[in-house]
Amino acid sequence: MKLRCRIPLATFELNIDVTFDARVTAIFGPSGSGKTTLLDAIAGLRAIADGEIEIDGRVLFSSARGINLPPQQRGVGYVPQEGALFPHLSVRKNIIFGAERVMRAGGSRDIKLDYVLDILEIRSLLNRPVTKLSGGEAQRVAVARAILSRPRLLLLDEPLAALDIGLKERILPYLVRVRDEFKIPMIYVTHNLTEVLSLADWVLMIQQGKLVAQGIPREALRSAHALFQLPEDRFENVFTVSFMDSNRAAGTTRVRLAPGTELLIPYSERPANPNFEIRISADDIIVATQNPEGISAGNVVPGTIRTIDLLDGQAMLTVFAGEDFYVRLTAGAVSRLALREEIQVFLVMKTRSFHLL
Amino acid sequence: MIFSFETWQITLFSISVGLASTLLILPFGISLAWLFARKEWPLKSVLETIVLLPLVMPPVSTGLILLKIFGRRSPLGQWLYERGIEIVFNWKGVLIAMSVMSFPLLVRSVRTSFAEVNPRLEQIAATLGASPLRIFFVITMPLAYKGIVAGALLAFSRALGEFGATILLAGNIPGQTQTLSLAIYNFVQLGKDSEAYTLLGITVALAFLFVWCSEWLLRSGKRT
Repeated sequence: MKLRCRIPLATFELNIDVTFDARVTAIFGPSGSGKTTLLDAIAGLRAIADGEIEIDGRVLFSSARGINLPPQQRGVGYVPQEGALFPHLSVRKNIIFGAERVMRAGGSRDIKLDYVLDILEIRSLLNRPVTKLSGGEAQRVAVARAILSRPRLLLLDEPLAALDIGLKERILPYLVRVRDEFKIPMIYVTHNLTEVLSLADWVLMIQQGKLVAQGIPREALRSAHALFQLPEDRFENVFTVSFMDSNRAAGTTRVRLAPGTELLIPYSERPANPNFEIRISADDIIVATQNPEGISAGNVVPGTIRTIDLLDGQAMLTVFAGEDFYVRLTAGAVSRLALREEIQVFLVMKTRSFHLL
Repeated sequence: MIFSFETWQITLFSISVGLASTLLILPFGISLAWLFARKEWPLKSVLETIVLLPLVMPPVSTGLILLKIFGRRSPLGQWLYERGIEIVFNWKGVLIAMSVMSFPLLVRSVRTSFAEVNPRLEQIAATLGASPLRIFFVITMPLAYKGIVAGALLAFSRALGEFGATILLAGNIPGQTQTLSLAIYNFVQLGKDSEAYTLLGITVALAFLFVWCSEWLLRSGKRT
């Protein structure tokens, strides 16, 4: 996908020039950095002063060549932040609203209604009025509606932003499923790192309308610039682990993070898919320079400090311990322990600090 | 109480021409209201002001303007006359006067209800492949439904109450252009109080019916 556009906004100018090719591309940045404007421009809902948008060799917009396809012909499915379900139509009518485009545009590939309903688990909602849906249900219906218009590209604008934390955790797996099942390229706007790390293959970091970094999420987010741009958001580590065994009496589950590295996380049943994702906040990891003894924490993992970034009394460390862990400490702790890059440390993590995604 | 033929005739005439005027302005009013609510163009505010003018101008002045426009000595009146259409001093004059006078009320009410429809819904409908026409009829209109009904009822009530513009453009000809309002005035002038009170009763009953109807429609229009 090629994306070059310049849009003057009230306080700054959105000016992006980027080419990328990923299953899920996250657009990551603080609120008011022009993310929604960018999605609107891709969907054809907003005028672009100058630029070019191309998906799979198909030009949607080109100021030089005078091309500007209307939204109807762009083949772009859009799930806006608030869901924007049609309040006077039932869930069923909302979902099939875009199906007519398939006939006209030929569609990307055959997506069956039944399949979408199953994947998003919304079959039981079909005959309900949309005004009677919960926030999480409404978002799933909005995603289904967009998918069933058989788009060539799916735009998701902070689909989880309006949901509370508990609900977020339950909806995120649905989006992972959508990514894996429907093979529609997605552009996912968010200011939440957990979402970037668990969904995206590529991330574009935007600030004040400018692209400040891009790359594979783990790599791109490593730069101090990105790390310290996190507002109220908690910085979380997300790992894919495989189930080993669990012990109900002890309240623990053993998972493998990497060959030779195991973690204890809170008890859960053996999942259907042995590979799943867990997360731990960068603020919930303790760094020790010696192997601590007589300690309640279930995980003491040896590792090597790779990087230390300091800013405003905070320190962001990346520690390699089978995988890269992000650890946020005070700058004081770094100097007190004389931490520096390449030294051996132990990461101390309570079992209960891990959460299933 | 048994109404005289004359009373029936006046009532029926008022209602049917009022209804016709409302139906006549509905498509124009809805289109214009949508344009006002959704589109921008140079000098838009000038057109908005012109449309609202009959609402604030003395109805008699509007009637005089209409008389100048449609009178046989004006180019338009002449042109219509040559084709056998005469507006002034017959029921068509009543229709025009009612339409022009109630148009601003309709446009205002519908415009507000269009403005209250979240444009995001229309945009998303467009990304789902819906043509502008389908968006209008499947998304915008149903969501603005209440305002359109309220606006139509308001316009109809205004049409029935029309007096000033009607008397100038169509005159006050019993059996031909005499509406309820004109007839009441006429009967009072002639000292025929009982006839005037009969018609007064009818207008009160009609007003009651409209208010009741609109309330009922709005309540039933509230979909869950």
